[in-house]
Amino acid sequence: MTEFFLGVGIGLCFLVFLCLYRGVFGPTVLNRLAGISAIGTKTLTILLLMGFVYDRVDMFMDISMVYAILNFIGTLAVAKYLETKGEV
Amino acid sequence: MTRMTDDVIIKTVCRIFTPFIQIFALYVIMHGHHSPGGGFQGGVILGASFILLVITQGLDRTRRRFSQRLDTIFCSIGLLLYSGIGVLCLILGGNYLHYGKLSKLLPVAAAEARSLGILGVEIGVGIGVMAVMYSIFSDIVTGGE
Repeated sequence: MTEFFLGVGIGLCFLVFLCLYRGVFGPTVLNRLAGISAIGTKTLTILLLMGFVYDRVDMFMDISMVYAILNFIGTLAVAKYLETKGEV
Repeated sequence: MTRMTDDVIIKTVCRIFTPFIQIFALYVIMHGHHSPGGGFQGGVILGASFILLVITQGLDRTRRRFSQRLDTIFCSIGLLLYSGIGVLCLILGGNYLHYGKLSKLLPVAAAEARSLGILGVEIGVGIGVMAVMYSIFSDIVTGGE
C-alpha cells in the first residue's frame, strides 16, 4: 500500500508544477491567485499522503489542517486586497 | 480592506468557521509537547482567526469585540507570563527559565514542574504572538492611525 500512496504523491507533485506554470505566467492576477490556491490544496493532500507513507497520520493531520486554514485566509486576504485596490 | 465584505457566503462561512479555528489554535498550544506546534504556531493561528474577522466583518465590528486596549493588555500579559516564569526560576535559585526549581513552589516533583513550566511559557508566548500579530495587522491596514 505504501507504493500506491508514494505513486499518488509523485503524481500530485507533477500536477503542482502545472499549477506553478499558471501561477508564474498567468495572464491576469486572478489566474495567478487560482494557481497558488490550487498549489496549497495539493500540498495538504501530499502532506497527508506522506503521513500514510511514514505511518504517522496523526502528526501530519495537524500540519495539513493548519496549512488548509492559512491557505484559505491568505487567498481571502489577497482577494480582498485586490477588491480594495480596484484591480478586478 | 477594513470595511465589511458584501458577499453573504463569505460572511456566513467565516462567522461559523472562526470559533473552530480558535479551538484548533488552543489545541495546538496545549499539545505542543507531543505533536507538531507549540506556543508560537498556536498564537499565529489564533491571530489569523482575528485577521479573518477583520477581513470579513470589518475593522469596526471586530474592534467592538476585541478593542485596541484589550489587545495591548493581552500583549503585556503574554510577555509577563513568559518573563515572569523565567525570573521566578531566577529568584528560586536557578538559571533563567530553569523550570526544575519551580518544584519548590508547586507541590509536584521536579520533572512535572518542568512540564508545567514549559506549558506556562508556551501559553504566554501564544497570547503574546496573537496580540502582536493582530496589532501589526491593524496598524498596516489603517495606515498607522
